[in-house]
Amino acid sequence: MKKVWLTMSTVAVASTMLLSGCGSDSGTNDAANSNAAAGNNANAPANAPADAPANAPAGDMKLRILDANVGGKTPEENAKFEAEIKRLTGIDASIEKPASDYDQKVLTALGSGEKYDLIELSDLGKLATFVDQGVVTDLTDFVTKSTVLSDPSVVPTAEWDQLKDKDGKIVAVFSKFQGGTMPIVRKDWLDKLGLKEPKTLDEYYNVLKAFKEKDPDGNGKNDTYGLCTSDLYDIQGFMSAAGVKAHYVMKDGKRTIPYATEAAVPMYEWFAKLVKEGIMDPNFVTNDTGKMRNLFLSDRVGMVTYWDAWVGMFNNTRKQADPNTTFQAEALEGIPGADGTILMRRGDPDFWIIPANAEHPDAAKKFLEFWHTEPGITLGSLGIENEDFTKEGDAYKLTPTGTEHNMDHGVPFWYNQNVKYPFGKLPGVQEAQDLVTKDATLELSLPGWPDAEKIVKNYALKAMSGQMDASEAVKKMHEELLGKKLIDE
Amino acid sequence: MRLLKKYGALYVMMVPVIAYFLVFAYYPLVKGLQTSLQDYKLMGDRPYVGFANYDAVLHDSLFWEAMVNTLVIGGGILLFSFVAPLVIALSLNEVLRTWFKKMAQMILYVPHLLSWVVVGGIWIFMLSPDSGIVNMILVHVFHRAPINFLADSGYARWIMILLSTWKEMGYTCILFLAGIVSINPSLYEAARMDGATRWQQLTYVTLPQLSNTMKVVFLLNTLGILRIFDQVFILRNPTIASKVDVLMMYTFQKGILEIQLGPAAAASFFVLVLTLALTLVVRRMTRFDEV
Repeated sequence: MKKVWLTMSTVAVASTMLLSGCGSDSGTNDAANSNAAAGNNANAPANAPADAPANAPAGDMKLRILDANVGGKTPEENAKFEAEIKRLTGIDASIEKPASDYDQKVLTALGSGEKYDLIELSDLGKLATFVDQGVVTDLTDFVTKSTVLSDPSVVPTAEWDQLKDKDGKIVAVFSKFQGGTMPIVRKDWLDKLGLKEPKTLDEYYNVLKAFKEKDPDGNGKNDTYGLCTSDLYDIQGFMSAAGVKAHYVMKDGKRTIPYATEAAVPMYEWFAKLVKEGIMDPNFVTNDTGKMRNLFLSDRVGMVTYWDAWVGMFNNTRKQADPNTTFQAEALEGIPGADGTILMRRGDPDFWIIPANAEHPDAAKKFLEFWHTEPGITLGSLGIENEDFTKEGDAYKLTPTGTEHNMDHGVPFWYNQNVKYPFGKLPGVQEAQDLVTKDATLELSLPGWPDAEKIVKNYALKAMSGQMDASEAVKKMHEELLGKKLIDE
Repeated sequence: MRLLKKYGALYVMMVPVIAYFLVFAYYPLVKGLQTSLQDYKLMGDRPYVGFANYDAVLHDSLFWEAMVNTLVIGGGILLFSFVAPLVIALSLNEVLRTWFKKMAQMILYVPHLLSWVVVGGIWIFMLSPDSGIVNMILVHVFHRAPINFLADSGYARWIMILLSTWKEMGYTCILFLAGIVSINPSLYEAARMDGATRWQQLTYVTLPQLSNTMKVVFLLNTLGILRIFDQVFILRNPTIASKVDVLMMYTFQKGILEIQLGPAAAASFFVLVLTLALTLVVRRMTRFDEV
């Protein structure tokens, strides 16, 4: 019996690691209590200025921030970034910027009751979960009464819809302008092969085939692919030809997933044809986005599907490596469907939440307003004055450090139309963003999407890679989604 | 009291260790159990819901899919990771040239030192359908069409089992070799004098004398089979997920990705109980107490 107990103890200890991540909490009502004390949300006591614009003087305001993108590029620069916030706002800010596993860090911090005043997120599905879990503060009154944030030239009014909960309350504030994804082509290869930008599915096929077969890199070897993706990330520009939108689409109040309908079959067949003919990188199922980018930058593939901002980054990276390069990346518009509609993907925004247990919500609100003004945007983009850039009169000049940091300290692009880009945008970015503005819409991630996504990706990728007949794949995908009650029809 | 006085210093020295386990092992364990019984929210009230989370997990088809995958992949790893190093250890024991033996041990041991991130990267590259060496051999030597191993659900579980075996083989092999080296040479001498062949020496001396080491190795491997995670996390992709997503992946998805901490903790406790049960069964079957 003693040995049984010994074994049980050993197993229990060995298994502890499984549970430790889920095993801590901060007590049931700490968050609510501390929130009430801080006067931080709509349910706070009347004497708490939860709904007031952040016009209080900074005084000795403190601010604790957890974020993935905003701040210095190194711990040393981060300290300078904090000092710059202090100089510009008077707020004594502390920024924690985990090097990796950001989502896990957020979850652990919230679960263990750590108190941050601002947390940066970039997933609307997660925001909805956090609303359900009582994590976020209602910011409706703050935003609507803020002279900065309620100004449509600072943030277009319609954009706020993205950050509303199911009851229509604003629960977050944008940290930057988020673009979308699209096919990105090697324009120099198109020109070299005498091809025009493709607009229809057939034209796309011809271009991709030419990239595969006509040695666009001119090295005399058959070593290029027409198209490379990273699993289903992101084929929306092509799927647009069939008029199907990724993720959920509500149809007459019912949940549907267009990628799991008959309409998507011809598109899966089209991809399978590309794979079969060696036009598409066969590793697309296992590729991560880094590998996809590298293939594009190393002349191995003529088209990828990626973010608007990366059009400029691709061009800039190659230009920095070789000032005489002919490399030219260009964004392409999605393919119109039968009714002429183009469906492109708008990315989930990056945004700030004020957690319900924040100790300094007033400082957080003051910072949020600052973040959308010219000094805040300059800090988030160019960086720290005299570290990343210098200013003489109205003219900005990047330092070598600033050049290295690529004008991105968390805000490469912003909403505020009153603040101009001091150095313009990288080549190709504006055109790409124009396409996003014109055609892109957000994807709808309802509860259950993580489970549905597994099923969709499984069958879609099998159909695309030719492992399974497209009709059969869609049929099974649809049946499985319906069987697990992840769609309504 | 006399004993306490005599060994008091030793008990004091044990305090940090006990405190460590209490704080970092048993406390989270108890909190995990508590979480599994709550409608756990990140903030606000966390009402107790009895066994609702356990019920939800048991009625989730993905949990059972993960259970099957865990048992198949874990069972495969348990078997292959036991037999392959044993065969290699016995073979290496027959090698007379010391330099070759040492070299072989070193080469076998190296993968154990690498993280799954590195091992995953190496094999994703080696199994690539267009530039991987495995497919190059298939195409150029055997004149077969390339196979997208990591995107084909037919190969997925085998790849998980074989890669894990490959990675951990060297470590287990060294345990077996250490066991073989410690066998009393006079037993072999006596066997030879009785006219035993090499095979008979192996079956009647080496293997019986190695049984205690084998029991320990088997038990240790059993403890780990339900906790497979790293390799699946690194090597999985959507086309093979339904064949390789194991219980820990299920827990990760529920807890970290979907923020359903109650069901995630409940699933973890199932793993804990199953590991306990498996360990007890293995102990009983192998008569571990007789080691």
